[in-house]
Amino acid sequence: MIEFKDVSLVYPNGTEGLKNINVTINDGEFVVIVGLSGAGKSTFIRSVNRLVTPTSGSLLIDNEDILKYRGSDLRKLRTKIGMIFQSYNLVNRSNVLKNVIAGRLGHTGTLRSILNLYKKEDIGLAYESLQRVNIDDKIHSRADELSGGQQQRVSIARVLTQKPNYILADEPVASLDPPTSHQVMTYLKKINKEDNITTIVNLHFIDMAMEYADRIIGMRAGEVVFDGPVSEVSEKTFEEIYGRTIREDDLRGGAQES
Amino acid sequence: MNNQTNSTSSQMTPPLYPAKTKAQVTLIFFIVIGFYLFSMVWTQRQMVGGFTDALGNMGVVINKFFPPNLSVIPAVWDPMAQTIQMAIIATTVAAILTVPLALLSAQNIATFKPIYITTRTFLNILRTIPDLVLAVVFVGLFGIGLFPGIIALIIFSLGILAKLISETIESVDMNPLEAMRASGGNVFQVIYYGLVPQVLPQFASFVLYVFEINIRASVVLGLVGAGGIGLVLDQQLGFYNYPNVMAIIILIFIVVLIIEYISNKLREALI
Amino acid sequence: MATYSLPPKPKRSLFKKTKRIMIFLAIAAVYVWTFLGIDVDWGRAAERAINNFHRVIPKLFHPDWEATGEVAGKMFETITIAFAGSFMAAILAIPLGFLAAQNMSRSRLLTASGKWILSAIRAFPDIILAILFVVAVGPNAFAGVLAIAIGSTGMLGKLYSEVVESIDMRVVEAMEANGANKVQMLFYGVMPQIIPEFLSYAIYRFEIDIRASSILGIVGAGGIGTMIIFAANNRNWNEMGLILLAIIIVVTVIDSISARIRRKIV
Repeated sequence: MIEFKDVSLVYPNGTEGLKNINVTINDGEFVVIVGLSGAGKSTFIRSVNRLVTPTSGSLLIDNEDILKYRGSDLRKLRTKIGMIFQSYNLVNRSNVLKNVIAGRLGHTGTLRSILNLYKKEDIGLAYESLQRVNIDDKIHSRADELSGGQQQRVSIARVLTQKPNYILADEPVASLDPPTSHQVMTYLKKINKEDNITTIVNLHFIDMAMEYADRIIGMRAGEVVFDGPVSEVSEKTFEEIYGRTIREDDLRGGAQES
Repeated sequence: MNNQTNSTSSQMTPPLYPAKTKAQVTLIFFIVIGFYLFSMVWTQRQMVGGFTDALGNMGVVINKFFPPNLSVIPAVWDPMAQTIQMAIIATTVAAILTVPLALLSAQNIATFKPIYITTRTFLNILRTIPDLVLAVVFVGLFGIGLFPGIIALIIFSLGILAKLISETIESVDMNPLEAMRASGGNVFQVIYYGLVPQVLPQFASFVLYVFEINIRASVVLGLVGAGGIGLVLDQQLGFYNYPNVMAIIILIFIVVLIIEYISNKLREALI
Repeated sequence: MATYSLPPKPKRSLFKKTKRIMIFLAIAAVYVWTFLGIDVDWGRAAERAINNFHRVIPKLFHPDWEATGEVAGKMFETITIAFAGSFMAAILAIPLGFLAAQNMSRSRLLTASGKWILSAIRAFPDIILAILFVVAVGPNAFAGVLAIAIGSTGMLGKLYSEVVESIDMRVVEAMEANGANKVQMLFYGVMPQIIPEFLSYAIYRFEIDIRASSILGIVGAGGIGTMIIFAANNRNWNEMGLILLAIIIVVTVIDSISARIRRKIV
């Protein structure tokens, strides 16, 4: 369970990233956060694994305030939370297996990882994760030989290898074409259901949010302006969140192709 | 009438360059030429007989070097080998020492500013001192031999290598590193998995480049007593044995060319 | 615990495999040769270092200010050597740079010979050139100027030829179509494209030449190097400290000025 209690974040240059956020996310939920770029979606998601640190309030994960964490506590927290990025963030020159096994870094001693002495189970886990996203045939390819959709699947496999309780995905489909976007979202949803992993995804495509989310949180200018199950959401809700009428480019499209 | 159109047209045509730029460029041009002429006079003031005499003399003296006495080459083979070994050891040690220094002087890794500034300044100062000057100081410290030469080469190449590599590190893609951090990796793991694969080919290429520089530098270190072929060269110069000197110079020339060729081929294969 | 089996790694071709092994063996052999062959008396070096340390290092940090006048004079001479040498090289390198540029002549032989001359010059360390010129024109600063001039020509010629090879030939073609002759094409089509880079490289080479000319005195070719060798022979480490300080300051100042000028030009 993730609980935001009066969480605010002010960046050193004075910009307010988050303003008094109060949100509770239950285990196993698939939450999509929508909002325009700059609305604070990214800051919200990165607060959960402390890639950014809120300046006030408290953020409880499994009933512990993570804002006090430092050093090894923080690294332990991060091993429980997997993250998927817009630009995949793979090491281009390394092969797929090595990128995926990097998900075990937090569970592996420094010396062991530097000498490439991974446990057999870890390597097996990495391979199994690749199978789950159907990319196991590329195991020895270099990351930069893969297409965008394939790279994003590899990064999902990396997160799976981590065996997380939570998955954060920061605009995971923004760099992909519509069919691949749906493929990636389908995998995320499937993993969420099968492994009961709480998943938080940032999206700015309305149709995709509606299709995959259990619950939608709308953000504008660092504040939560909507929070409710998909069934309560209509086009009018989005117009309120975005503060303008809905346009063509707010939709991803291509749903039937997936 | 004709006159008038002429003058108006010359008024209307804008000059090709603005007058101010023209004046500035002319001024700089004359300063540069002026300082050049001054330098030529200044550097020749102690020369007996002046410039023309010297040029005439040059032909005569160059003749002294020819024909080179190639029969000394087997005798100087050993010091030549030592020179190369000196460069190999120095390059290897510098390549190892450069890793922490390059990391600490890369802005995206050493986020703590004072550390970054201190290492940068240290490296900048290191790079201003020529290799032979370092060798002179270390010969004073350790006595004549290969050891001071090796130390001088290490220090000298460290300055160049650490700068080149820290610049490479600053240009890497930071996204994978963020991903590693997000999955709970510690500093060493993040660097080893996110950074090292990205900089390794460049690193190897720069090490080879510095090896080439070290080979050139090592052949002359002996001139100040730091061992190797330069020591023999210095002795032969002392005896005014110019045909031997020329033979050694030719040997150096060929060895440098061969090593550079091999190193170039290796670097091409790397990138 | 379930057992997993990974798909087999793609086989590398035999050629690649042997190539890797050969390179590895070659490197290993080089290192074995180096460490067996190197003749360093580590013990004696360490012993000397311990004995000499306090006689050398602390003195380097206490410069002998009384020598300031002499050091400044010699440092000035070093700058004039570097300047005159770089200037001569900047001009000498122009014809050689054009000669070695592939797009300037249709004769492969000419290009190859240009490239060969330039790399031959580069293979000579500056100080070896200085030795030759000291014999030729006597032990004075002018020998240094000639050594720097020739030494820098090798590198500048190579950089110039790369600049010339990278120019936009369509401009030159357009002029040819206009009926311009060869000299006109050179001055209006080629020159404007290359002058900023040429200047920038020449100034950059001047930076290097400042460092190079400060050691030429070691073989008698003038400049601060003359004082370095005297100070070392007399074990006058206080004076050496001042000389080092002078070199660090002059090189740093000239580097930063020249970097600023180069940024403006290009």
